[in-house]
Amino acid sequence: MSTGILKAVGLCKSYGSTEVLHNLDLEILPGKIYGLIGRNGAGKTTLLSILTAQNTKNSGEVTYDGAPVWENAEALSHICFSRELQPTLFSGQNNLKIRHYLRSAAIYYPGWDRKYAQRLLAEFKLDEKKKICQLSKGQMSMVTILIALASRAPITILDEPAAGLDVVMRERFYQLLLEEFTQTGRTFIVSTHIIEEAASVFEQVIIIDEGRILENCPTDELIDQFRYVSGSEEAVAQATAGMEVLSVYQVGRHKTAAVRCRGKQISGDVDVSAMNLQNVFVALCGHGDA
Amino acid sequence: MHGTLNDQSLIYLQIAQMLEDDILRGVYHEEEQVPSTNELARGYNINPATAAKGVNLLVSDGILYKKRGIGMFVAKGAAETVRRKRRDAFYNTYVKPLVQEGTSLSLTGEELLAMVNRAIEEGESK
Repeated sequence: MSTGILKAVGLCKSYGSTEVLHNLDLEILPGKIYGLIGRNGAGKTTLLSILTAQNTKNSGEVTYDGAPVWENAEALSHICFSRELQPTLFSGQNNLKIRHYLRSAAIYYPGWDRKYAQRLLAEFKLDEKKKICQLSKGQMSMVTILIALASRAPITILDEPAAGLDVVMRERFYQLLLEEFTQTGRTFIVSTHIIEEAASVFEQVIIIDEGRILENCPTDELIDQFRYVSGSEEAVAQATAGMEVLSVYQVGRHKTAAVRCRGKQISGDVDVSAMNLQNVFVALCGHGDA
Repeated sequence: MHGTLNDQSLIYLQIAQMLEDDILRGVYHEEEQVPSTNELARGYNINPATAAKGVNLLVSDGILYKKRGIGMFVAKGAAETVRRKRRDAFYNTYVKPLVQEGTSLSLTGEELLAMVNRAIEEGESK
């Protein structure tokens, strides 16, 4: 599938006097699955909604294939942002039915695949006559997943699709995502708080922290830059000299340091172990809370 | 979320290692086709790019080779190549930690060698 690059340059966004995105740059290349991870309030949903022109920005620019996305119907028809459904709307209960959401998606996305949508409805055991306010949290996530997949949009963004899903359904979701990706090569951006089980699905990982992009790189290359080094205080200090130490845990005189060694050899009388993506995330974004 | 993979080392290295294990054990013989990148991705629920990275590692080591338009195959002498590659790594991954642990238990060199000999004898008598 031929798609353009989705690009943000110098994005700033404030709510009232609080700036939540600080001069943020991001480039989404076609044909990859991106994982977007960040702590609560890091700016994930704000970023995603600005990328898809569903939210205003204070400054900066978002372009798709070189053209600004704001009020650009042509560009936006290539980008699907399947947002979390809400059980209530301004006027009270969300009495819209699943059917209504499917119908508007069919109008909005030129590539909408009705058969695929029906197949997923059946698999998820969803009744399209049901009102959104009658659905469980997990069922609402299933509707957003269904719309995202069946939109067949070249760039598809899922915000917290795993929220409320049980573990079997989460695995099934990642299976469906990989199947669709393998067949079509669509670009996906998936935000999640359940990091480790998604790590092997993400070719590329974007870490956002306090309104800034910390990392946007291949998942395995990022993970491989980090190690835990443990042993006696002196040995750990010696082994990690000159390296970026992100956090330190000490029990008695035994010390464990999380370091970014960037491929540098660690030697001495210490134990060295690998990290997983979740460990890396905590080391980078924990700010001493963990 | 992935069958027999763990998060203790990089996924693409584990994919490469599993294929190597299967070649050593004769699950895949020389000139036989191995699962495609997409089959591996589906089988282990991983990104196809990651699976491809593992497979390509084995291609650059001369263990697999690509038949254009058909798929990936086990190269001639692949088992021997894997063995040689692992023998080169054996000292660092097994022997050094063994000696290190022995030293911290105050085992002498002779005691350590005696244990290794005993293990060899027990292995042979089985």
